[in-house]
Amino acid sequence: MSERWRFLLTPGKTAFENMAIDWAVLKANSTGSVPPTVRFYTWNPSAISIGYFQSLEEEVDLDMCKKLGVDYVRRITGGGAVYHEHELTYSIVIPESHPVIPRNILKSYDRICGALIKGLRYLGINARYAPINDILVGGKKISGNAQTRKSKVVLQHGTVLLDVDVDKMFSLLRVPSEKIRDKLISDVKQRVTSIKHVLGREMSFEEVADAMKKGFEEEFNVELVEGCLTKGELEDSKSFEKNYFSSYEWNHKK
Amino acid sequence: MKLKSVYKVPNGKLLKIFMDYDAEGNLIKDISITGDFFAYPEEAVELLEKKLRGARVDRDVLFSRINSVIEENDIEFIGLNVEGLTKAIMLCVYHE
Repeated sequence: MSERWRFLLTPGKTAFENMAIDWAVLKANSTGSVPPTVRFYTWNPSAISIGYFQSLEEEVDLDMCKKLGVDYVRRITGGGAVYHEHELTYSIVIPESHPVIPRNILKSYDRICGALIKGLRYLGINARYAPINDILVGGKKISGNAQTRKSKVVLQHGTVLLDVDVDKMFSLLRVPSEKIRDKLISDVKQRVTSIKHVLGREMSFEEVADAMKKGFEEEFNVELVEGCLTKGELEDSKSFEKNYFSSYEWNHKK
Repeated sequence: MKLKSVYKVPNGKLLKIFMDYDAEGNLIKDISITGDFFAYPEEAVELLEKKLRGARVDRDVLFSRINSVIEENDIEFIGLNVEGLTKAIMLCVYHE
């Protein structure tokens, strides 16, 4: 009989709630109060997340965010700035000591990305892991991923692009100069893709979530059992949201 | 004096360094190491920034100071390395 992990479906939350929930689940898992957990989510309103080490004002056009009603948040994971709109975002929280998780960090990216690659295959898409933290289809990026390890627990979260609007993305992200903006946008259009672009038709969040769930189950030989956040997790996530992710100090700390 | 450098680590990520520089003493007054790299544990970067305050802007001094902080604290970088970080810091002052 295969191991049972918790599965959470939490679409439509704010950037601050989403980042707070991932951290709260990590904390709960580190104390042994919840099993390994896979969560799928979306962002409402759409939002930019930046890597833990990035400078907010260096990467993000805050005036444009305000104008377009786009939120922004600093993650607890490293990596780059991401505009979250038409995508499935996943997170996995699991003890570092779990036998499916390689000790080596890059190998563990590879292993977790394997679940998404299997999920994409269910949609008829052939993808591959490209170190450090990308998944590519035909040489173009369809997924970006970021991992942290705290309290002996691994948290990895990342995106699967359902559709992408590179022009909008670059109106929100800061580029080195106006001169190279057009060149940069055309370069990125060559390097980024989405499920819609690959298949030539739209896929709903639910369809993609079904496929990704099967991908995780197959990769890790587990059963994902739908559950909900515990009372403790909800309390922690409220407090992380207030004290970190929605605070000026946290988001502007670099 | 406020200085900045942008440096793409070969086979790695994009580093952006912000430095408050004491030109008279050729010293780092304060430094912020930013970019899309990964570091485990993340708090290690704050420690590095602290340990670099007061350091002379000299390739060998910086390299050995960064290296010893990394070894003493069992820090793992991904998309970044000691050479790249040293180079990016040097670029704030010496633009070649």
